[in-house]
Amino acid sequence: MKEIMAIIRPNKMHATKEALVARGFPALTAQKVLGRGKQRGVAEELTFRIDPNLVDLNGHMTYVPKRMLTIVVDDDQVQEVIETIMATNRTGAIGDGRIFVLPIEEAVRMRTGETGPTAIK
Amino acid sequence: MKLIRAIVRPEKVDEIVDELKQAGYPALTRMDVVGRGKQMGIRVGSVHYDEIPKVMLMIVADDGKVEEIMGIIARAGYTGNFGDGKIFVSPVEDAYTIRTGSREL
Repeated sequence: MKEIMAIIRPNKMHATKEALVARGFPALTAQKVLGRGKQRGVAEELTFRIDPNLVDLNGHMTYVPKRMLTIVVDDDQVQEVIETIMATNRTGAIGDGRIFVLPIEEAVRMRTGETGPTAIK
Repeated sequence: MKLIRAIVRPEKVDEIVDELKQAGYPALTRMDVVGRGKQMGIRVGSVHYDEIPKVMLMIVADDGKVEEIMGIIARAGYTGNFGDGKIFVSPVEDAYTIRTGSREL
């Protein structure tokens, strides 16, 4: 099992969920996070008013609001999920986000007590 | 590659992030979390706070840079009191940049 941790634009959330459901991956966890990449935050990328706490003295953003998705899947489905997320989220502009793949040792479905790969099916 | 998850004091975050930036690690993700440690929260007078607000910083870095980043976080986030936080390191197998589709950090 692998955990796919994708950090994407908040406004791509809906499209990403739809695309994942269409491919048969409805289960995910989403978190609102703040982040920045090599560019140290890009204020121009936002059209709406931003929280003044996020802006530094020079008027640049120190962080950009992002959405973090966590999806746990079997090893052989990792590539499909990554391709789906990439195809939906690629705009070509800075700030499209990152995808990380982490190993997961064990999963338990609390309702039934199933463990291992059956717990995430 | 490793994922470094550091749970730190909210008031120390700016200091930590500035030091990381100066050392050449500007990229990170931050998340507001609540948690408790071995001390089971804190007691102030007769009020018991079970969940203490913290900030989780997440940084993915190449294996050789992990020690340096952990050192910076540990130094900048240090007060010596309970609640300075923890740093966890887990393996990352792959990283993709969505914009370019390249398989690297």
